[in-house]
Amino acid sequence: MMSSPDPLARSSSRPDVVELRLPVMADLIVLARLTTATLAARAGFDVEEIEDLRLAVEELCLTLRPNEQQGTLHLEFRQSDDDIEIACTLEPGPPGLHRHGANGLPLPAPEDGLSDRILEALVDEHGHDTRDGNPRAWLRKSRTRVQG
Amino acid sequence: MEQPFEMRSGTSDGPPVLEVMGEIDVATAPFLKERLQEMVLAGNATIIVDLLGVTFLDSTALGVLVGGLNACRDAGGALHLVVSEPRILKVFDITGLADVFPIHASVADATRSAGR
Repeated sequence: MMSSPDPLARSSSRPDVVELRLPVMADLIVLARLTTATLAARAGFDVEEIEDLRLAVEELCLTLRPNEQQGTLHLEFRQSDDDIEIACTLEPGPPGLHRHGANGLPLPAPEDGLSDRILEALVDEHGHDTRDGNPRAWLRKSRTRVQG
Repeated sequence: MEQPFEMRSGTSDGPPVLEVMGEIDVATAPFLKERLQEMVLAGNATIIVDLLGVTFLDSTALGVLVGGLNACRDAGGALHLVVSEPRILKVFDITGLADVFPIHASVADATRSAGR
């Protein structure tokens, strides 16, 4: 696993930034996947890369173990000419509000190691750090250039 | 429009078949876990899980399937998976779980293998 003091500040060209804040609810994490797919398509990623990113962003959120804490998942998406960078910060919130999804079932505990293995295979770089004392996970994936 | 998560229990000439469709993620995996537990508690040591209609699968889904496999093994049986979609197979490959589960291309193949 790699780490960086500010991995989202390394793009050479000025990136677009999109932010998404989600209460920690199992049935809302799909919105992170939908946003990722939309932005990746807009950035020119191919279908397979978009599917990889959809899974990667889900695992990124799960590595923060949101089943153990209430609060908000704050996602930041930055895209430059060649890559997309996604960071997810778990910001604390009042207890008891967001623990369960609409289906009433608790967020399942993540499987140790599986998320990291998936991220390792699907993205170019990923890591963990903190922002304002809150745990943050981030990833970067480059777009495959089509030779013209 | 994404296919909604759905499960259907059926029978084959052999073990019971649980057909799963749609996305198995952090929101829907608990339902799969619950159903597998019910099937094992009902006395089914060997179960076939048909994932042909699954369009997305994450690590929580894998964890549920591993739990189901362990429960089946403890009961003296096995959990057979039916997967043909390359994107879903890829998730098993990159996590090393392709070597842990018996994975088949069709329910018929899984039924034959489970009957041996």
